Amino acid sequence: MSLPDPDVLIFLASAVLALVSSALVILHRSIVYSAFFLSIVGIANAILFSLLGFPIIALFHLIVYVGAAVTFILFSLVMMREVPTVEPGLKVVTFSAFILTVLVLSRIFLSVGAQPSFYLEYKGLTSILIEKYWFALIVASLALATTLIEAITLARREV
Amino acid sequence: MEVYYYLILSAVLLSIGIYGIVSKRNVIRMLLSAEVIFNAALLSLLSLASLDSGYGPVGGALAVIAISLSAAEVGVIVSLAILMFRMRGTLDTYELRRFRG
Repeated sequence: MSLPDPDVLIFLASAVLALVSSALVILHRSIVYSAFFLSIVGIANAILFSLLGFPIIALFHLIVYVGAAVTFILFSLVMMREVPTVEPGLKVVTFSAFILTVLVLSRIFLSVGAQPSFYLEYKGLTSILIEKYWFALIVASLALATTLIEAITLARREV
Repeated sequence: MEVYYYLILSAVLLSIGIYGIVSKRNVIRMLLSAEVIFNAALLSLLSLASLDSGYGPVGGALAVIAISLSAAEVGVIVSLAILMFRMRGTLDTYELRRFRG
């Protein structure tokens, strides 16, 4: 009896995690916890991107989406007087998120040495972004700058 | 691993997100549901891009741009929600009908 493929196991774990977390995003009564579960959906998706052969996109998703967008929602909820209530299972959820982050990073770094069927190289991605999609890149940069201005305006509380 | 399974997973995530948008009235809750749909769309995009190595970099480039625009979209909608909360004291979308002029 041979051991199952580790990629299949990681896919199954990530898929179950993404499904359960996305259901909790909709169903949990606290919006703060819903935003937290959305970050777990993002982490599970990053693992799946890495399995598909896109480790750079997985890292970008972790940094920009989970690290900036979801955190922005969480901090904004505090401005709406939605104070997070500490629930008993918080430590378990936090620990599982930590384990997930370790899992996705180790999967990304280990895939560099392996030979998957498809692997997106950093050089190919940057060249296609600069040569073919330069205008979309400028629009995306302007949109992110707009978000920064919005955040500063909101922080002044004079609107 | 078959791409087929990734596409099924993205379809289920899409269904969950659509259910959230249709059934909830809170602006932030609807935004979170839309983000679940965005994750599903991104997963299906990259699954299909991984089928052919010729389309891989194109799919990656589109994913990078989509993630950046999604972060900007979150900023815009959260700003609108905060403005709405300050003016009306609620996040109920039914209250948006009163925003005129």
